Amino acid sequence: MSLEIENLVMRFGGVVAVNDVSLNVKPGMIRGLIGPNGSGKTTIFNVVSGYYKPTSGKVSFDGKVISGLPAHQITALGFARTFQNMRLFKTMTVLDNVLVAMGHHCKTNLWQAMLNPVAVQREDKMLTEKALHLLSLFQIADYARERATSLPYGHQRRVEMARALATDPKIVLFDEPAAGLNEKETEWLSETLLKIRDSGITIFLVEHDMKLVMGICDAVSVLDYGKKIAEGDTKTVSTDPVVIEAYLGKEEDL
Amino acid sequence: MDSMNILSIFIQTLVGGIGIGSLYALVALGYSMIYRSMGLVNFAHGSIYMIGTYFGIIWYRGMVMGLQVPYPIAFVIGVLLNAILGLILERIFRPLANLDLMLMLLGTIGLGYVLDNLAVIIWGAEGFAVNSPLPNEPIVIGGVALLPQMLLLITGSALLMVGLNVFLAKAKIGKAMRAAAQDRETASAMGIPVNTTNALVFAIGAGLAAAAGILAAPIVYVNPAMSAAVGLKGFAAFILGGAGSIPGAIVGGLVFGILEAISAGFISSAYTKGIAFVVMILVLMVKPAGIVGEVTVDKV
Amino acid sequence: MKNTFKVILLGVGALVLLVFPLVAPNRYTVHIVNMAGIWILMSLGLNLAMGYCGQINLALGAFWGVGAYTAALLNTRFGSPIWINMPLGMILAGITGALIALPMLKVRSHYLALVTIGLAETINIIMVNEIWLTEGPLGISAIEMPELFGIPIDGAERFFYLVLICVVIGYLVARQIVNHRIGRAFIAIRDDETAARAMGVNVARYQVLANALAGVYCGVAGVLYAHMSTYISPDIFEFKNALFVLTMTMVGGMGSLAGSLVGGLALPLTQEWLRAIKSWQLVGFGLAIMIVVLFMPGGVVGLTQKIEQAGGIRLPWARKQTEGKPVAEEKLEMEGPNVA
Repeated sequence: MSLEIENLVMRFGGVVAVNDVSLNVKPGMIRGLIGPNGSGKTTIFNVVSGYYKPTSGKVSFDGKVISGLPAHQITALGFARTFQNMRLFKTMTVLDNVLVAMGHHCKTNLWQAMLNPVAVQREDKMLTEKALHLLSLFQIADYARERATSLPYGHQRRVEMARALATDPKIVLFDEPAAGLNEKETEWLSETLLKIRDSGITIFLVEHDMKLVMGICDAVSVLDYGKKIAEGDTKTVSTDPVVIEAYLGKEEDL
Repeated sequence: MDSMNILSIFIQTLVGGIGIGSLYALVALGYSMIYRSMGLVNFAHGSIYMIGTYFGIIWYRGMVMGLQVPYPIAFVIGVLLNAILGLILERIFRPLANLDLMLMLLGTIGLGYVLDNLAVIIWGAEGFAVNSPLPNEPIVIGGVALLPQMLLLITGSALLMVGLNVFLAKAKIGKAMRAAAQDRETASAMGIPVNTTNALVFAIGAGLAAAAGILAAPIVYVNPAMSAAVGLKGFAAFILGGAGSIPGAIVGGLVFGILEAISAGFISSAYTKGIAFVVMILVLMVKPAGIVGEVTVDKV
Repeated sequence: MKNTFKVILLGVGALVLLVFPLVAPNRYTVHIVNMAGIWILMSLGLNLAMGYCGQINLALGAFWGVGAYTAALLNTRFGSPIWINMPLGMILAGITGALIALPMLKVRSHYLALVTIGLAETINIIMVNEIWLTEGPLGISAIEMPELFGIPIDGAERFFYLVLICVVIGYLVARQIVNHRIGRAFIAIRDDETAARAMGVNVARYQVLANALAGVYCGVAGVLYAHMSTYISPDIFEFKNALFVLTMTMVGGMGSLAGSLVGGLALPLTQEWLRAIKSWQLVGFGLAIMIVVLFMPGGVVGLTQKIEQAGGIRLPWARKQTEGKPVAEEKLEMEGPNVA
């Protein structure tokens, strides 16, 4: 059940955002994807999760080619993702945000929705219990009935993670989950990511917080200007002169 | 019917289409300029066009204190009065520009209701035909018969469009308008009075609509209901050309007018309106941002 | 305590509705209320598509017309009764809704507004011109008042109960839908289409469904209208009436089913009340719309919710929060083109 990205190229007009990148994410691992801003990390996520059709190259999961499939089908195959800017459903409660992601658990159809309120109620109760359980794992069950976007920022991140897990994924793509979190929250995040991995869910992580990346990733790939410039375990990567060079020119993150 | 005859009928139809198309284009320019500078889709613009037409024609027809005014003077009065109306309306529209599309839609429609029904109260719902100030005999050039008023409409509109483009490119205030259209915040930080430019945009849009209406009045029937009919087509032209684009509005208007004329003349007069809409929908399906517009990549 | 209040409110409401035709001052008043019921049905449909799923749809008049023409033609040509016309009208109008949704998958925001207007206009032109089918601009007259279970529904008073049943069923069904996974998916699409996709929501399918539902609701309204007024013509289904429904929904509250009830009842009644001053009435109407837009964008229902939030009180009819916040208050991302 590994995710394979082969010779991926993504071009927007004249701009090459991703240039011939190949990498894989093996089951049960945390694969980090790092690189300076604009190096193509999120673009890769957008291709993998079905928002962009690659210019060339392919993405396969479990031996099946998934690049080019619409996003909702890719989700159904066992992918989940989070977004840099979270994208919580802004008028919904925390609970409903999670329930949306549990659509695949809903067995009742339109006709039953209209004609069989009892079945719907039963299903709703079952789903709500499941969702509340999930929320309690993220310690936000108390806020279930609050509007998601009214929560403090750190809690909104938790809602987003719970929502991603509610789709029952085999692999989760986290896009800068630590952005905007304070030190304590980041610590909680790294523990949680490890817990998620230990429960058997593969993680593909884009992150700027190097301490977090180096602390939890099993393997890291480094992008610069859309090209993969280094790959390996955290130690190899963090001492690679090419990587240091790429970062020193632009940022002080490392 | 010999081929010469068909050709001359075709040219006649084409000219008619260009004439009505220029009317749509001038109305579309109003939509377009306001959208560009304020981000506002002004669904009341059809009503502004209708009011502007009345503002000019009432003088020409001696409806104001029996005062019969020559057509050119009535034209100028109408354009000026409507420009002033535009200035006033801009004040009312200002808060709408920051709202969500649905509310904007409804707010401007609400204002359109008000203008339309005020027109009915003041001038009656009946409407009237307007005599052309020019001779009614068609001018025949190489077997093609053309109405003088139609030629006036086409040349007048062309002059207005050229004038507008020169104004936007050359005049200081024109440049300020373009800057404000591109980036409101930066423009206002650079000391460009954004509200004043917006007001001016509104005034120009309303003036153009009045000009188009007064030029076309002897060809079309004048009544309050034309706000919806022409307003909708001007809006269609604005969308078809690519919302916010000045050349797009002109192209869109002409394309729409020609399409209508050709479909009325050669396919089915009953389905004129329908065919034009169907083509418009097809264009949008292929180019969702209009003929001239560019689609921006969805931000994920 | 709250429940008792609700039961009492519901009971009184039901009683008032049941005896209304008997105590109404005259038949005309009943007729106006019946008409309000028809508007409410359309407003519910619009709310599902636009208020919940966030799809701008200005083609309601066409759906309504398809329903009405289906009933009128079947009845005048084949003498078919309302209980056959109703499902057929619903199906045809629903299909029309689904078809109109197809361009929506590609075209957005104000472009979409135009496409729906264009499609509705085209359907209206067909009504005017295909005289062999629709009798053209003169319309179809002598549609029969319906008869159900041997009881002739031959006056406004009896028709009232038929409309009432349709509205009650329509409202309950809509409520079931919005509280179901389907409704959650609608709101998710409205709030953030991109995120909805990532949650496995098949956006295109739900968008088509939402508009098909809008079509079905308008279909019911159309069939009822044809049998109630016994005469229909193309001008009734023009754009202006779609705007009327849009207005009442916005005034009541977009994104709230209760909003459809409030707006669908309030606007037609106000219009009727001000009939004596026809043109000034419409001016006032336009002003009212502007005031709603500028000062209470959530509509009447949104306003009660604001009062509730500000005062920390829960009004007895308050719904759960998902349904609460009307879509209108958040600025949609305009995905217009960047044209220099």
